[in-house]
Amino acid sequence: MSAASVRAEAKRLLAMSLEDGVVSADLVGAVLAALTKSRASHQLRPLLRTYLANIRRELARGEARIEHAGPLATAEADAIAAHFSKLLGRTVRPVARRNDALLAGFRVRVGDDVTDLTASLRLANLAKSLS
Amino acid sequence: MTFLSALLAADTAKAAAPGAPSSGPLGDIIETFGNFGVDAPHLIIQLINFAILAFVLYRFAIKPALGQMEERNRLIEKGLADAQAATQRLAEAQKASDAKLNAAADEASKILADARTVAKAAIEASRAEAQAAQTEVIAKATAAIEADRVKMMNEVRGEVSRLVVETAAKVLEQNLDDSMRGRLNEAAVKQLAR
Repeated sequence: MSAASVRAEAKRLLAMSLEDGVVSADLVGAVLAALTKSRASHQLRPLLRTYLANIRRELARGEARIEHAGPLATAEADAIAAHFSKLLGRTVRPVARRNDALLAGFRVRVGDDVTDLTASLRLANLAKSLS
Repeated sequence: MTFLSALLAADTAKAAAPGAPSSGPLGDIIETFGNFGVDAPHLIIQLINFAILAFVLYRFAIKPALGQMEERNRLIEKGLADAQAATQRLAEAQKASDAKLNAAADEASKILADARTVAKAAIEASRAEAQAAQTEVIAKATAAIEADRVKMMNEVRGEVSRLVVETAAKVLEQNLDDSMRGRLNEAAVKQLAR
């Protein structure tokens, strides 16, 4: 299989793995089971690699990965996720992780988009503007 | 008998008869000359001899000598004319030589003036080039000094900024407790919602 056909096949498999626009673990399991039965192992490896990358990208699109300094209440994380769900037009669930190196505030990554409201970024911008 | 011998015979006859009267005016004249010691026949003979001598001398001595003198005079005149022509040619050659010398002197003066002009221009060009090079070196040195100064200022500014930011970060890290961070997170969520 050529690289283009592998990408097309992986994209088709990803579409089959979504349920209401969200990756479903059951559908992913079914797709993998079908693949292992229908494809030879030497054809399966590049297809699975591309499929995995697509699944990860799709999962990242559906997650708001929040890095925060200090405590962040669940309600606040939900409010952040709701904000991005409304902004992007799809359901985004919050995944929070504490990182005190940010000093204060939080940084949100949804897919390839990053929103940074941390004190460390403001200090870095201040240093950049002074130098 | 020749005329001369007849005269001599007549003279001899008259001498033989000294008492005889003279015959005519010619005889008187001859007698008068005779009284003065002049012997007419001899005189006539000597005149004839002189004439013959003069003719011979003129024919064989004077005439060739005159011819040679004329030839010599002609040669002298020719020599004089040649000398005059030579003098004239010499004067003309001298004149031409002087003209050439003057032209050469003018040419030399012109070449010298041109050489001086070229040398002056070369000196001026070298001076201008040196001036330009000096200006360029000074400008480069000034620019390098200014660039170094700006670089140093930027480095100092960057270092000061880094120290300020690091200090601020450390102060924040030490002084921010969870309650304050929580309030800041809450404020950030409100900022995000706006």
